Order: sequence, then structure tokens, then C-alpha cells
Amino acid sequence: MTTTGKYQQLEFEELLRARLGFEGPGTGGPAPDASRAVGGPSKALARRVFASARWRFEHLDRIRDGFVVDASGRGVTAIRPGRTSEAAGSAARRLAAQGREELLQYLEGERTFFQVPVDLDRLPDFQRRVLDEACHIPYGEVRSYSFLAERVDHPRAARAVGTALGRNPVPFIVPCHRILRGDASLGGYGFGLPMKADLLALERGTPVLQGCATTRIVCRVGCAALRRARPDNRVAFASVADARSIGYRACRLCRPADR
Amino acid sequence: MTSDRALMRRVRQRDERAFTELVARHEGRLRAVAARLLGSRPDAEDAVQRALLQVLTAARSYRPEWAVSTWLYRILTNICVDEIRRRRVRLEHRAAGPDLPSPGGRGSVDGAGALIDIQRALLKVPTEARLLLVLHYGDGMSYGELARVRGISINTVKSQLARGKTIMRTALEERSA
Repeated sequence: MTTTGKYQQLEFEELLRARLGFEGPGTGGPAPDASRAVGGPSKALARRVFASARWRFEHLDRIRDGFVVDASGRGVTAIRPGRTSEAAGSAARRLAAQGREELLQYLEGERTFFQVPVDLDRLPDFQRRVLDEACHIPYGEVRSYSFLAERVDHPRAARAVGTALGRNPVPFIVPCHRILRGDASLGGYGFGLPMKADLLALERGTPVLQGCATTRIVCRVGCAALRRARPDNRVAFASVADARSIGYRACRLCRPADR
Repeated sequence: MTSDRALMRRVRQRDERAFTELVARHEGRLRAVAARLLGSRPDAEDAVQRALLQVLTAARSYRPEWAVSTWLYRILTNICVDEIRRRRVRLEHRAAGPDLPSPGGRGSVDGAGALIDIQRALLKVPTEARLLLVLHYGDGMSYGELARVRGISINTVKSQLARGKTIMRTALEERSA
């Protein structure tokens, strides 16, 4: 739009600067600001963040050291406390190893979707349908027990849905932690409510779409192609359309645009 | 005063005092950027907290070649952008429920009319361009720095800023007309 003169353009720049500018001294650079003089709130913030980081590391260690992944030839069948994995046959062993690796990446915030298949064939029909439906809840989002009950065509069976999720043999991969009570309270969780809250916090804090600044490709976090990108080259995007608007293209491996 | 880089080295070893110092230095500006991008103080608070948590858990991936502030901004904008994405998904999911938080800070209806107009116009701008506008005009960030924070070329920064300004201006003119 060049209908307006140079003078008006400059005026508009000034307006933006004045309106969008942050109150307080200095522009650009890590200038010390007002909150530094106060000291109190920022100290409390730092302490809070430090404490939650410690929690996160504890969960990670607990899962890494205390849990094993079982698999059949078709997919992961269980994630359970124990020492030795039950996986008969080479295909099963490979799937179990893949499941474990993806699980640890997930817990570190390096992965937002699971590629490893799950094998729920031995479960009762109702529970299998509930778990299948739970898998469709996207990373970082939550749904209610009754929402899920409606999706499996048993709208009054919210309690039964809760029971089916409570017996979820493959937690994390089938995201039973993304289901809350209708009043947004946490409901229940097999590993304890603090774990459920921390998993949701982890998902809230992890971007789902990231691009690589050198290849200009946008992927879902956890994609094999993205894992090769250096962390300092990664940029998050709100949508694939946003990424396209500045010249990135969607990855052909993880296909983020298809979701 | 210790440099930011030296502080980061200590944060990597999970030194709480170094982390507290780092937070004290940058918190104010991070919070201001997040507030502009997300349009609400509580959301900004939340975003800063999550960004700082990421600073701690991902401290290993920091390299001393980069300016600490650039790295912090990268993490914070990544989180804000993801928050914007989540809102959009929530909107679609609920099909415009009545309890949506109005993005352009409520409280100050009187007196700050022009500011609210600007905020509204800003919401019309696509995410990427909006981000650049806020960082450039709000925080005084240079083109080069913007390019590094968002992983794009300087020319893309320029064209996106121009596009964003055009959209804003049209939106403002429509309102006053």
C-alpha cells in the first residue's frame, strides 16, 4: 500500500513505537529493569521454577530406572514397573526397544507423538474402543471422561470410561493422562496425581510444531528429520500455515499438515 | 557484574543462585514481551514460567556462541507461539463458547481507547508478522536479531513487518471510518 506519503508512514511508525513500546527505561539489550529493584517476586519465581525442574527430573529417573516396555510382534502391549521386558521374537524386541526410546524422549519434552504401534488385541472390546479414542486427543490438550463416553457411543458410561482408562496397560503412549473430570479437576491417575499434573504441565510447555532454520522445513516435534537439527536452529510455529507464510514447508516424513 | 554467559555456565551445573540472578536480569522484559503477544497478564506469567523451566531443563543445549538474551527470546517466543496455536485449537473445538477470554486486556476501557484499537488491529495480523511487530516496535529488537530469533532471513523480516503494518493500518482506518 503506497497511497500514503512518506511523512504519514513515519508518523505511523512513531505511533506503533509509542503504543507497542514497553514502559520502563532502555530499548533492546538485557538492560536491568524495574523488577530488579523489587527483587522479591523474581526471586520467588526463580525458586518456584527451580523446584518444578527438580520434580521433572525425579519423574524421569523413576520411569527410566523402574519401568519396562513389553511388546508383541504387532506393537507395545504394556508399560509396567519391573526389571526385565517380556518380548518374544525379534520383531517384538525391536518394538519394545523403540517404545522405550520414544517414551524417554517424550518425558524429556523431545517428542509429541508416538510412532510405535500399540497392540491392544487382548483387551475387552469396550476398553479397547475407549483407549483407541483416547489416542486421538492431541498432545497438550485435555478432554473429559464424559466426552470420551460420548465418542464410544455410551454417553452415560463416564464412570466405566474412567475404569477402562485406569486399567490402561500402556500409559503415556495411550494418553490416559489427558482426560480430566468435567469440572476440570484432575480425576485419578495410576501413578499418582502429581505425576498427572506434571505430565500436563510438560505438554503445555512443549511446542508441537517446530521448524529448522537452515532447512526451512516444519515438523512435528519428535520427527526423525527434526532430531537432526541443532537445538539453536529450532523455531516453534503456531500452525503449518504460519510456517508457510514465512517460507517454510511441511516435512514429508511426519506430515504435520495432515493433522 | 558477571556476564550473562558466565551465569549460563553456572546454570548448566544447576546452580540455583546463578539462575535466580539470571531471572532477575531478564524477567521484566520477557514478561512484557509475553504480555504483548498473548494479551493477558496471567497468560504471560504462565508463559514466562514455562520458558524459565525450559531454560533449566534445556541448559545443556545452550552454546556460548549465542547471546543469552537471543536464546531466552527464542525459547519464550516458541512457547508463546505454541500457546497461540492452542487457543486456536480450543476455539475450533468449542465452536466459540461464551467464556472466551477477550484478548485485548479488559479492565481499562476508558482513557486507553487508542491502545485498545491498536491491540485489536494487532490481532488481525497473522501470527508470524504479529510476533515481529511486537518484538521490533515493543522491544526495539533489530532486524538481525529478529532474524536470528525466528529463524528467517533479514529480508523476510522486512517483508513480514511491512505486511503486518499494512494489515494493521487498514484495520485502524476501517475502525475510524
